[in-house]
Amino acid sequence: MTRALEVARTALAAADGDAEVVVQAEASGLARFASSEVHQPTLIDNLVVTLRLVRDGRVGVASINRVDADGLAELARRAAEAAASAPVDPDFPGFAEPTEAPSVDGYDAATAELGPDAQARFAAEAIDAADVPVYGFFTSALSEVAIASSTGLEAEQQMTDATTLVVAADNGCSGYAEATSWRAGAIDPAAVAREASEKAARTNGAKEIEPNSYAAVLEPYAFADLLQYFSYDSLGALGLLEERGYFAGRLGQRVFDERITILDDSLDPRGLPKAFDFEGSPKQRVELVTDGVARGVVWDRTTAKRAGNGTATTGHALPPGFSDFGPLPSALAVAPGDAKSTAELVERVGDGLYITRLHYLGVVQPREGVITGMTRDGTFRIRDGKIAEPLVNLRFTVSFPELLSDVHGLTREPALICASNFYGERYPFGTLVPALGTKRFNITGVGSAPGI
Amino acid sequence: MRDLCATAVDTAVGAGAEYADARAVVRRSQQVSTKNGRVEQLIDVESEGIGVRVLVAGAWGFACDRRLSADGAREAALRACAFAKAAGGRSKRALAPVEAQHGTYRTELDRDPFSVSLADKVALCLRADEALDGADIIVRQAAVRALREHKLLVSSEGTDVEQETIECGGGIDCAASGDGLFQLRSYPSATVGATEQGGWEFVEQLGLEREAPRVAEQASALLRADPCPAKVTTAVLDSDQAALQVHESVGHPTELDRVYGTEASYAGTSFLKPDDLGSLRYGSEHMNITADSTTPGGLGTFAYDDEGVPAGRQPIVEAGLLTGFLTSRETAARIGAGEGGSMRADGWNRMPLVRMTNLHLDPGEGSFDDLLADVDDGIYMETNKSWSIDDKRLNFQFGTQIAWEIKGGKLGRMLRDATYTGITPEFWGKLDAVAGRDAWRMAGITNCGKGQPGQGAHVSHGAAPARFRDVQVGVKA
Repeated sequence: MTRALEVARTALAAADGDAEVVVQAEASGLARFASSEVHQPTLIDNLVVTLRLVRDGRVGVASINRVDADGLAELARRAAEAAASAPVDPDFPGFAEPTEAPSVDGYDAATAELGPDAQARFAAEAIDAADVPVYGFFTSALSEVAIASSTGLEAEQQMTDATTLVVAADNGCSGYAEATSWRAGAIDPAAVAREASEKAARTNGAKEIEPNSYAAVLEPYAFADLLQYFSYDSLGALGLLEERGYFAGRLGQRVFDERITILDDSLDPRGLPKAFDFEGSPKQRVELVTDGVARGVVWDRTTAKRAGNGTATTGHALPPGFSDFGPLPSALAVAPGDAKSTAELVERVGDGLYITRLHYLGVVQPREGVITGMTRDGTFRIRDGKIAEPLVNLRFTVSFPELLSDVHGLTREPALICASNFYGERYPFGTLVPALGTKRFNITGVGSAPGI
Repeated sequence: MRDLCATAVDTAVGAGAEYADARAVVRRSQQVSTKNGRVEQLIDVESEGIGVRVLVAGAWGFACDRRLSADGAREAALRACAFAKAAGGRSKRALAPVEAQHGTYRTELDRDPFSVSLADKVALCLRADEALDGADIIVRQAAVRALREHKLLVSSEGTDVEQETIECGGGIDCAASGDGLFQLRSYPSATVGATEQGGWEFVEQLGLEREAPRVAEQASALLRADPCPAKVTTAVLDSDQAALQVHESVGHPTELDRVYGTEASYAGTSFLKPDDLGSLRYGSEHMNITADSTTPGGLGTFAYDDEGVPAGRQPIVEAGLLTGFLTSRETAARIGAGEGGSMRADGWNRMPLVRMTNLHLDPGEGSFDDLLADVDDGIYMETNKSWSIDDKRLNFQFGTQIAWEIKGGKLGRMLRDATYTGITPEFWGKLDAVAGRDAWRMAGITNCGKGQPGQGAHVSHGAAPARFRDVQVGVKA
């Protein structure tokens, strides 16, 4: 039994009545470096208990990280006060009944045991492998999630994750690479740094281009970022029910090129696997878009009850403190295509742009999936089917559905892109996507040259 | 908690640290939100622990422990030293000298927001939520929040300070839908409402219930409004959007850690260079920006930052000229100016970073109507909706929830989906008027992200409506 489940049981026993306890534990280290030197090494050790209590249909939530008897008693008192302060919630679906969660990968003992010496050593491997100054981090963690409720449900999972992220940058040049896995042994920090460094070396002498609509190849880093932002409004049930998402009124319709299939699949061992969500419901593989047709969104118990008509949770509830966001995807995946490499996608595009990575995305119009942002750390012109001169950072404003409506193809091999910036409690998740060739990428402005 | 901090510092020094500081923090927050007449969120959160930062042989280390106990303090100190030794230092690090500080600070307030019952908070939200009902409205939301942070900071240089800050706020949002359009409207600020440091009196004076019908009517009217045209014109920004413009295009680029590249792997760098201090023209003569960690009500108000540097007021841009950076003790020593004062950490389990405190666009003269009077043809934009800016803080594109055409010095037809774009120093160079003190408002931002692992910061920006000439508005996808 994990420490998290042990605490969950104790907290549940301290609560009176219908209750659900979620425990998140984290032991992590992050060796952050800049100018090829570790400057912000951070070790975090925390355990947070969240209690959701129901009294006569009234729901209150409290959270605390003191897990002695006094702390858990205070937690129960505050949750009870919150519940007593609420009106009856007609949408409360009740707590999940005990079910068997799927067996998933996602835990690696060697990764769990990494300490500050190893984390600093992996950071040094990245630093030493680059030809230009590097900025980034190596991080690894052991995280635990446990849920216990008065229905008898108990669920627990240990997860590990490791990421190396490198921006290689100097005057007038910058490149980017990252690698994420639940097994640190699958990550080669030096290789990541070399990829970023080699990319940076090709960005010297960046030129401007005229704003226009271009064909483009998006590396998985860029494609994953756009997909993640699109998902906030359009791939969760709340965006659908509140008519703010692109899929509102479009389910069953052809919305993208028929070569586009999008899933949310927390069970895929190539990702960062999860067995259950924060209501204890088993994670399900959800088809969101199949062959270009909008098939569905992800659900939790509350939105499923609100929708009615037999709608059921898909196992995508967020932690109780984030429930106002509704359910959201946590393991987006795009089915690969037939291109052997990004070079083949570049050849198919012929004339256009090559985009490594994006920066600071913002949703301009959620209903139409319009997103703006900047390119960064490796933007190039494509000419005659080959990567040509480097370009300055470019502002884009694109309709994500338009971008996917007519594509040149996707690569055969997807890459796992870390989708967490490690705010709050650690909960590793990522996006598994190939590179994309699109016929429409709308450039609306030019920015500065790459580099530090 | 003071003894624990001292224990941590002593342990770190005993383990070889040439400098150490320890922060013990207890943070409690309450969040209540309703949506369409239903309680969406009703949560009470407490988090406590101790964070220890050390400098060992020129290398930083940070570790933390959730246990406020002697064991927790000692273990955090030893782990911080171990990480610093493992990371190793490749360059010499100096800290700007600061006298050891001793003192306390507590937010001034009339009514502690935690003395207001959760039931009263729920009732306020439900009343405001109901008052948002109207034609075409499909989503009504109201929220209030409260936060209290009690922290002690002890350093190996003798600093020993204790502070308690209290903030609270609230807001309303609604969404209208029809004919394939979806439009948002918020008050008093977008999605997260308004937050200030102070007592519940701040929430009460917002008048959420009173303002709700106007907000709902505007959301509905936006469904029938014309889209913002694409053209180069005069743009007048309301104080809320002007505050965001300050945050993104002045606040972040003047953080000296970004200038030195230490945030390059996440939030980005800056178009500014250290040598630009005192010589770079940031904007027009109407542009005056002040960092002030003493502003009453500001979310960046304190007596000491998280390095124990006393609060103060510092010009950043004077009559368009760059005259200051936001600094830590380390970056201040590196540039040879100031002593720091902008180091802030998100709770006990994150390392302090250079963050904004309260960064204001100083008021000019005249009223909002005076700003409009000098515009033959232009667009007035109100309440932020979308934001994006590049990693050097140069190329930005922002959108607002609502806009109006300005014709002959008066507001005309309503416009939807308004956006504008620009390059930071060029844009600020086009600033030709800022309204006066009477129109100056402070906006609290509670979702400013930075750092790896990520940290949120609460900062405030005062601004009055501001007028910019020759701005590109109406960017199309």
